[in-house]
Amino acid sequence: MEDPIVSQNITADLLPQRFSRWGKRWTAILVVICAFGAYAYFLQLKNGLVVTSMRDYATWGIYISNFVFFVAISLVGSLITAVLRLADVHWSTPLTRIAEIIAVSAIIFASLIIVVDMGRPERFLNLLLHGRLQSPIIWDVVVICTYFFISLLLLYFPLLPDLKILIAAKEKTGARLNKLYRFLGSFWKGNAQQVRISDRSINILCITIIPVAFCIHTVTSWLFATTYRPGWDSTNFGAYFISGAFLVGAGAVVVAMYVFRKAYHLENYITALHFDKMGRIVVMLAMLYLYFNINEYLIPAFKMKKPEEAHLMGLFTGQFAPVFWFAILVGMIVPIFMLVFKKGRRPLPMFIAGMMIVVGAWFKRYLIVTPTLLHPFLPMRDVPAGYLHYFPSWQEWAIAMGSLSGALLLITFFARILPIIPIQETITERHEMAS
Amino acid sequence: MKWPLNYLPELAIIILLSLAGGRSRAQTPAKKDLLVTVGFYDIDNRAMYLSVHARTKVDGRFQPVKGARIRVYLDKDSAACLTGDLVTDPAGEGRAIISPELKDRWNSSATHSFIAISDGDTAFNASRTESSVTRARLQIDTGEGHTLSAVLQEWKNGQWMPVKGVDVKVDIRRSGGNLAASDKEAYTTDSAGKITADFKRDGLPGDEKGLLTLIAKVEDNDLYGNLQAELPVPWGSIGKAGFSIDNRTLWGIRSRTPIWLLFMAYSIFFSVWAVLVYLILQIVRIKRAGHADGYHARL
Repeated sequence: MEDPIVSQNITADLLPQRFSRWGKRWTAILVVICAFGAYAYFLQLKNGLVVTSMRDYATWGIYISNFVFFVAISLVGSLITAVLRLADVHWSTPLTRIAEIIAVSAIIFASLIIVVDMGRPERFLNLLLHGRLQSPIIWDVVVICTYFFISLLLLYFPLLPDLKILIAAKEKTGARLNKLYRFLGSFWKGNAQQVRISDRSINILCITIIPVAFCIHTVTSWLFATTYRPGWDSTNFGAYFISGAFLVGAGAVVVAMYVFRKAYHLENYITALHFDKMGRIVVMLAMLYLYFNINEYLIPAFKMKKPEEAHLMGLFTGQFAPVFWFAILVGMIVPIFMLVFKKGRRPLPMFIAGMMIVVGAWFKRYLIVTPTLLHPFLPMRDVPAGYLHYFPSWQEWAIAMGSLSGALLLITFFARILPIIPIQETITERHEMAS
Repeated sequence: MKWPLNYLPELAIIILLSLAGGRSRAQTPAKKDLLVTVGFYDIDNRAMYLSVHARTKVDGRFQPVKGARIRVYLDKDSAACLTGDLVTDPAGEGRAIISPELKDRWNSSATHSFIAISDGDTAFNASRTESSVTRARLQIDTGEGHTLSAVLQEWKNGQWMPVKGVDVKVDIRRSGGNLAASDKEAYTTDSAGKITADFKRDGLPGDEKGLLTLIAKVEDNDLYGNLQAELPVPWGSIGKAGFSIDNRTLWGIRSRTPIWLLFMAYSIFFSVWAVLVYLILQIVRIKRAGHADGYHARL
């Protein structure tokens, strides 16, 4: 039997809230960065890819780094929601919606940024009409569409019981949002048959999303690993990418947990216990990713094959060394040392560690993509000096930052219209705990 | 604040004159200078041609000029010495082959000059450029083992004399570009005009007979221009076309996808999307269950 007062309190706490002054400022800043990115993209469309610093050798730059980063972050939906739900872990309930929102937002922008990388985006349809099934690029297109659809369903099904609560709270949510809620879930009555179908569907989704999530990032890694180049010619790439994706996704959830907890005063729902448990998961994932990194770099460095030497030395001691060691230290080693201690798993240190992981992960993707392209097996000769190096142009920075801001804006938008913590599940769990 | 008013007539005249000057300038825009450069190329002591580039300064930067008409002469600007009458392409470049008719003139002297003349048009001033080269030849040969050598000589006092201190590159011709034949970027000729380099590309695929084309070249030399010598050598591995576009392969065309890949890809795709379609149907079922519930409640 549900206690109506407790339920009302939980509902009042977890209903979507209007933006505070800081929320409005945050949104305005993101809109401005997005608009600037859109202007830069307009210039790129008008003048062509020549406005970027990508040339004959560095044909992939920060757009593709950003793409890999977004795909990686999107995997968090399968980790937090699917893996933990199937393992019957209940403490993660308040984090599931955050993870699903991040997953949907990230996969949308992963799709957009790959179109931005195309010199002739109007020819995108040709990829589907005339694409070769032998190409991993086609596999990536298919698997991204599939993963987006599954993530959307995984956001939608658990939302149905909350929609009923949101529709009932019309006075607090406003008429316009109420229309949206009614469109999405006015048919949800919460009867036994609906609950049974919904629970079974969520279970099927959780089972389906795990192999698809593994596919999406494995296929993304194959975009690189199926080509014969120093740094990409690796059988380790699929597992290496997936472990990195889980780490950056978990880091992003930690950051989001802290921000939403502060912004919406959710201290009673996202507690120190959640940070502690997520901290343990992050340590495990960081160690796993570090292990794959050691495999990825130490073994080729031990052999130091001549054609790969320039690439590896460029990373270890050359022009990419500062970024490489930053990504390894800040993105993995320092967070491990911080979070392995209980004090480090408190909210603020967790937030700092989460930020370090996310920033480190972005640079790691840059290191995966660009240095390899600048160290081909055949030497670069008789080319303009500008072809030998790559540093993104301002248009590339603006578009990349615009896409990152766009993803954050989408997360902010979802947080404005949806309960960031599942209301009905929280009520049910609190009553189960009380009884 | 009276004094500006005292100068008002003068100010008005200055402004009017400036406007008038500006308008007249707008009506007759100033012609630009055309910068023409001529590069000399001798390919394997067989074909000689001149590469002419036309550029002009726009906003402080040199830009290629398309459609510039330029006549190029060998030594003298007379009809008998005309080497080419060319129009530059969008990259501002045009080529003129030194024809066999000019062979006697070419052989008559150790140094030659090339005169490029543009008569000018509405956009550009007329221009005249002269550049000179010393007759030289580059020869390539192979030595013991997989070594190669090249000799650079210039025509001096009626005979070929070795040239010391000039950089020579040694390459292998590949599809779409050249590959360095050795570790060093370039070798400098000794007092005999010779360079020797080790061939470092063993096992490189050649043609169906295993032939590779070695190239020695002097690039953009102030005295001799661009010289290139070529030599086919049987140092490559015998290249075999190991595939056919008619086979079903991973590198084949779209309609030649391997059957196993088609089977696997479509099996996975349809299995996953069948589950997703099933889940969409579950939403419809949930909807119906909700409506039925409402119907029963109303009853």
